[in-house]
Amino acid sequence: MKKILLIYFMLILLTVAAKADPADNVILIKNGTIVPIEGGPPVVGDILIENGTISEIGKNIPATAGAEVIDASGKFVYPGLIAVMTAVGVTGYPRAGNDTDEVGTSTPHMDPFDAVNPEDDCIEVTRIGGVTTVHTVSGSRSVINGKSIVLHLGGTLAEEMIARRYVAQVLNMGAIEQNKYPSTRPGVVSFLRSKLNEAKKFAENTSRSQKDSDDLSKRNLEMEALVPVVKGDVPVIFITGNEVTLRNALGLIEDYNLKGIIRAGSGILKYADRIAKANIPVIWAGTESLPQRWEPHDLNYHTAAVLAEKGILFTFDSGGYGLGSRNVRNITTPAAISVAHGLSEREALEALTINAAKILGIANEVGSLEKGKIANAAIWTGSPIQGRSRVEAVIIKGKRIPLTSFQTRLYDKFRKIVDERMERKKK
Amino acid sequence: MRKKFLVFLVILMIGAISIEAQDLALKGGTVLTITNGIIETGTVVIQKGKIVAIGKDVPIPDGIDVVDVSGKFVMPGIIDSHSHIALTDVNEATDPVTPQIWMWEALDPGSDSIRTTLAGGVTAVKTMHGSANVIGGVNVTIKLKHNRPIEELIIPGVRQQLKMALGENPKRVYGEKGRSPSTRMGSAYVARKAFIEAQEYKAKWDKYEKAKSSGKKDLTAPEKDLKMETLKMVLEKKLTVDCHTYRAEEIVWIIRFCEEFAIDLMQVSHCIDGYKVADVMAEAGVFYGGWVDSWGFKEEAYDGCPYGMQIMYDAGAKMVINSDSPVLGRYLFREAAKVLKYTDIPENEVLKMITLNAAESLELEDRMGSLEKGKDGDIAVFDKHPLDTTSKCLMTIIEGEIFFDYAQQSVTAKGGSR
Repeated sequence: MKKILLIYFMLILLTVAAKADPADNVILIKNGTIVPIEGGPPVVGDILIENGTISEIGKNIPATAGAEVIDASGKFVYPGLIAVMTAVGVTGYPRAGNDTDEVGTSTPHMDPFDAVNPEDDCIEVTRIGGVTTVHTVSGSRSVINGKSIVLHLGGTLAEEMIARRYVAQVLNMGAIEQNKYPSTRPGVVSFLRSKLNEAKKFAENTSRSQKDSDDLSKRNLEMEALVPVVKGDVPVIFITGNEVTLRNALGLIEDYNLKGIIRAGSGILKYADRIAKANIPVIWAGTESLPQRWEPHDLNYHTAAVLAEKGILFTFDSGGYGLGSRNVRNITTPAAISVAHGLSEREALEALTINAAKILGIANEVGSLEKGKIANAAIWTGSPIQGRSRVEAVIIKGKRIPLTSFQTRLYDKFRKIVDERMERKKK
Repeated sequence: MRKKFLVFLVILMIGAISIEAQDLALKGGTVLTITNGIIETGTVVIQKGKIVAIGKDVPIPDGIDVVDVSGKFVMPGIIDSHSHIALTDVNEATDPVTPQIWMWEALDPGSDSIRTTLAGGVTAVKTMHGSANVIGGVNVTIKLKHNRPIEELIIPGVRQQLKMALGENPKRVYGEKGRSPSTRMGSAYVARKAFIEAQEYKAKWDKYEKAKSSGKKDLTAPEKDLKMETLKMVLEKKLTVDCHTYRAEEIVWIIRFCEEFAIDLMQVSHCIDGYKVADVMAEAGVFYGGWVDSWGFKEEAYDGCPYGMQIMYDAGAKMVINSDSPVLGRYLFREAAKVLKYTDIPENEVLKMITLNAAESLELEDRMGSLEKGKDGDIAVFDKHPLDTTSKCLMTIIEGEIFFDYAQQSVTAKGGSR
């Protein structure tokens, strides 16, 4: 009897679990202006989402029984925005402590997946701003910072959110130390050369004696994290902030034949042709940087337009990896500024979606609204780069996300408190 | 030093400086007057630095320079009531009470930050002491007349504002040095002690002045104290206060503190938690000065909530949007546009947060903040509606003089790369 009861409960649990499984959700978005980014021009039509993926885009798609129908008439459907260089998921502070930037000059083995907190307030705030996927880094203050990961901002466990482990290593070419080697930028370069040489040697030794990999005494987590980098299997994001650090990064990419990605703050225009020729993707972080005294006021505002002109694959830096830079949702601001200064709106939106996906190596899954891709989308009242545009629905991995965050809850709470206090004063 | 100080006081109090200004007419633009609606294909005429005519069919006097702004948007110059630009120094972080510091003595009219800020349509800023001290220095409100003598920048005849700061910054700066204040209680004590001393100082001087004016002889003047001189001016309402604070309990605290000492508190800067006490702020008539959607960049700023501006608006609290940064100060209009995302506050009310409300927070609403006859000819011209995030400023005019011209001063206008 007990056994039967147990099986009965197990069955109930299984059906409940099956019902809650986003894969079973069918969503039909009706009559929206669909901006697919890739695969065709914007069209008014429907999107059918089944089992977490986009199964059809077209006109007059019939609603199957049980499908959730979202009327998007007069609204715009965009792919979920993708923000790179964030700390979303690892800045639980002040509730769980800050988990970015482990101590050490070389920490390539730090993996932000080990610190992902699905309750991080940044997650809800970011996704109801239309950003459905983030690239989260372990830090930026060390020379060799660690791994970076891709998360979809839906799910209740880190393992449900993770899209990719170790998408790129993050190096900072300007992370000089105080009173400690390396304390200069050339010091950073030679520090990196030593580490990369060591990793190459480590890779050769381990491939020569495969058996050693089982030998715990031969394990070296730091070197193991750098092996895929020197082999060119895992890309490297070089954080640069000026001409010197940018040039040094380009030198290392060429010398070590690395799969480099340049995160540039300024000084990039001079090197744009070299970057374009080498097909190096760019994470452009300098849009809002103040110009030098001798530069036109809008030089940095205009730079994204130049990158696009040169055919460089680029996205905008979210600026969200320093402690406190929690407004990853404002990734649309540098895009809007760039559009005001020569970038086309289409190029700006590509930068925030498909380009970011390409740079992270996930363009076959996300970054556009196309059949077969993961259903990450948002319904907007206007273009995402317009400050006034609102997000009216968010779908992540085929599941509709409630438009709530700790900020909407604060609003509800204090709307009531303030209104009641004013009522009391009236009486 | 003393002489310079006196000259400044003269500028401050009397406002009798006459500055050569130009005549200019802007023709054919969509004029966002702020106070009298929108005029399609309107004309604004400025003479001797003041707006003399504004409307659809106003005559343009002969010989006046005319700028054709057809298809463009004309709005009052943007005002940033919390900035630190154009200063060589910001924080006298050596003592928690430094009201003897006057920010105009750090004013650099050649600062490149003025050039970049002008390009964002900003014509006036209140440039401020930092937040290290509970009682900081006296801020200075300026027009962005790049490279001119400071007498032309400092707006005459207006009460300047003393900077105060509560919360984490003074606690950190002095706590780390093993000094007081290291707690919020310590900051409250520091402020109260300083103003009680100032009351005593003022009483001493009042008594002396009274005796002197009644003809008494052989009087010894009390000793001058530069810190107390400034605080005495605050008690005499010759200066007002702008207080930096994030948290709700501190916002209420500073409002009550200023009531206790009869101090005119104009603005609470940063004011992250303002929405939680919107009714208290509205009742006190204190301006919310802050950003739209910043949050969590430090612990005391954790509860930033962009939707909260709706609560403040509905409660009747007055709001201004500030930059506190040379970066954001270049596009306050884009920051303002986000108010439309998070609230249902009407467009014109949002524009007020970077124009008329800011002017009012600086007690300059008779001169600035809207396009009206008799007001200063401070104007920003945009290529699109300024709350369109893809718009940009094309021209910034102060008292009829063009201080920024996109066509001349931008790489994009010169063709850029495409």
